[in-house]
Amino acid sequence: MASATVIDVGRPVARRRSLFSSLRGSLQGSEYAWAIAFCIPYVGVFIAFVIFPVFYGLWLGHSPSLYVELMHDPIYQDTIVNTLLYLAIGVNVKMFFALLLSGFFMRKGWWVKGLLMIYVLPWAVPALPTFISIHWMLNTQWGLINNTLWDVFHVDGPGWLDTSRWMALGSVITTYIWKNMPFWTVILLAGRMAIPQELYEAAEVDGATGIRRFIHVSFPLLANLYLVCTLLSTIFTLGDFNTAYFISGGGPALSTHVLATLGIRDAFEIARPQLGVAAVLSSLPLMIPLVVILMHKLRTSDVQL
Amino acid sequence: MAHITRRAVLRSSLAVAAAGTLARPFIANAAAKTATVWWTQGFVPEEDAAFKKLVDDYQKLSGNTIDFSLIPFAPLNQKVVSAMTSGDVPDLIDINVDVLVPQNVWDDKMVDVSDVVETQKAEFLPSVYTATQYYNNVSKKRGTYIVPYKTAVQPFHVWNSLVEKAGFKLSDAPKTWDAFWDFFKPMQAKLRETTRNIYSLGLQCTTTGPNDGNNVFCGFLIANGGNGIVTKDGKVHLDDPQVKEAAIKSLTWITKAYKDGYVPSGALSWNDADDNNAFHSKLFVMDFDGTISTEVALFHDKDQYEDIATLALPMANDGKPMPAQLGVSAAVIPKGAKSIDVAKDFMKYLIQPQVTNNYLKEGLGRFMPAVPSLVKSDPYWMADPHRAAYVTECLLSDTVPNYPVFNPGWAEVNAQQVWGSAEADIIRNGTDPKAAAETAFKKIEAIIAKYPIVS
Repeated sequence: MASATVIDVGRPVARRRSLFSSLRGSLQGSEYAWAIAFCIPYVGVFIAFVIFPVFYGLWLGHSPSLYVELMHDPIYQDTIVNTLLYLAIGVNVKMFFALLLSGFFMRKGWWVKGLLMIYVLPWAVPALPTFISIHWMLNTQWGLINNTLWDVFHVDGPGWLDTSRWMALGSVITTYIWKNMPFWTVILLAGRMAIPQELYEAAEVDGATGIRRFIHVSFPLLANLYLVCTLLSTIFTLGDFNTAYFISGGGPALSTHVLATLGIRDAFEIARPQLGVAAVLSSLPLMIPLVVILMHKLRTSDVQL
Repeated sequence: MAHITRRAVLRSSLAVAAAGTLARPFIANAAAKTATVWWTQGFVPEEDAAFKKLVDDYQKLSGNTIDFSLIPFAPLNQKVVSAMTSGDVPDLIDINVDVLVPQNVWDDKMVDVSDVVETQKAEFLPSVYTATQYYNNVSKKRGTYIVPYKTAVQPFHVWNSLVEKAGFKLSDAPKTWDAFWDFFKPMQAKLRETTRNIYSLGLQCTTTGPNDGNNVFCGFLIANGGNGIVTKDGKVHLDDPQVKEAAIKSLTWITKAYKDGYVPSGALSWNDADDNNAFHSKLFVMDFDGTISTEVALFHDKDQYEDIATLALPMANDGKPMPAQLGVSAAVIPKGAKSIDVAKDFMKYLIQPQVTNNYLKEGLGRFMPAVPSLVKSDPYWMADPHRAAYVTECLLSDTVPNYPVFNPGWAEVNAQQVWGSAEADIIRNGTDPKAAAETAFKKIEAIIAKYPIVS
């Protein structure tokens, strides 16, 4: 018993010393105090601008009654469906075409480089003016698209954002893909460029060309990067406010809100910030597993690219 | 160079902290003569210039300082919500009354300003004074929580040239509500003979807020005899057959006009500025919208300005005069404000009739005063045809304060766009107006139940 007691008491002390020593490192005397003094502003900024906002948000949205209220709200139910469709279609279509286009932009030739420059413009230009322009282009009465349809075919175009939920949501998703696909194309292009040329040459010797080269060489080597990019993009997109807000504004009749825009509506238009925060926090059950998987993928030692 | 020791650093830090603590009373004293004010940015630059002049005049007279920010309407709403939630508030806010006041007074987050309002009580329009009385759920009674300084109603705005181009005369417009609206419908076909995509009505059957869609519906409700839906005692009368019938009639007329194609299809999602922009682009012949901002925005384009006709309300559908919904613009002092005295002093200065009159006139008369004697004594208000119609509707005819004054739950009814959602349900899903009205009543009942008012 006596020896067991010594061991139980001794272990934490040993750990504390070890932790203390590792924090202190090789610093001597007043150097340690100086190190702490220099760290304090950064810790302060971290607490003020990271820890506090996160916990304040959690505190605002902590009441279970808020979530009960949300669950009974038909607008919230539609919003959940919209958000899932936005993620599933928007992210996957975008990433798939980005993967294909990154292969196209691997081609040699000055015109390909020139085309790439034009292609990245939607991503490079500021988001809000472009979203507002697209919103105007989709105007039923005087938008560019319907006016062109009238001028060329003499037909009245549809009310893109006016009455149909699916047409408005489709417009939001299409705009999202148009805006963000160039960025992910460039990322995947960089991934492709990192694949050693020798692998392709060896594959060619084995008879793998064209689509077979893509299936057996490029895609297996890009798979991890593709997955990480898709996870990251899903996390970004879950918090995307601008696209839905500036394209459809949540309309028609509040039918195309996503969680980020509904949160703002509840917080500021209905003047219930707690409900708005709860709407946004309700994405955590999806967000947390995504972050965990992403961290796991980033930690894995079996890195391909 | 002296060697800096750890103790020296700690000593210096303590000294700075102590100095900061000791210096605070001086900072607080200095702030006592300064009020932080958040004010709504004007629709035209003249409104902002008028406010800056008002502040200059006050500062010279009082020696106090008004540290103001002019913030556009929608961002100001967001800023106020954030401030009221966090408790970090300014001293005075020019607030969106219908949306933000009822709930915050209910929660006892506003300072009583009866001492300010009492200084001009005798001058105010009775409806204006009524509109200052909100229910506080902590004290369980009504009190004066807003300082009114200007008012607004919804007049009609009509492109006279389009009416004439369609072969009609505005003077022939019928004098009752539904017939008046119907008068504009045949113009659409005539105008489309030469112009594609032109509509008769800028009817805001929208689910996007904050105000216009609710105001349009309530205009119809009152015209159909449903004004008793909320009474001064805060009671909501959803079982009243007359109210029910008025709601169903209103929903039916609005949605039929939309489905018949007399309204631009985008109206379902218009925000408060969209109808103004669409009217200016002559997308439709007439609009029913609050204030004369539509006209004032074209003040410097005389041809356009004079082409618009501003019309006060016709009679209700039963042939009797209908009251206009009176919106009161006002400032509030949130609890937690540091310079309450300066804020109150500034508002006492502003609501003096002549001061308000000059302020509003310099802002091109977009808003009306809260004092009827001003429009009777100053020829400015009747000299312009737009203002004359607006003054007549706002200050010289019967008015009723917006319903959130009577019951704070109605602010949430408006914010949730209950009536706009009912209209959208009929238009998009083909729901019967009677069923849509019943659904709306149930939603309203559930919301109002959260705000029990002790008589």
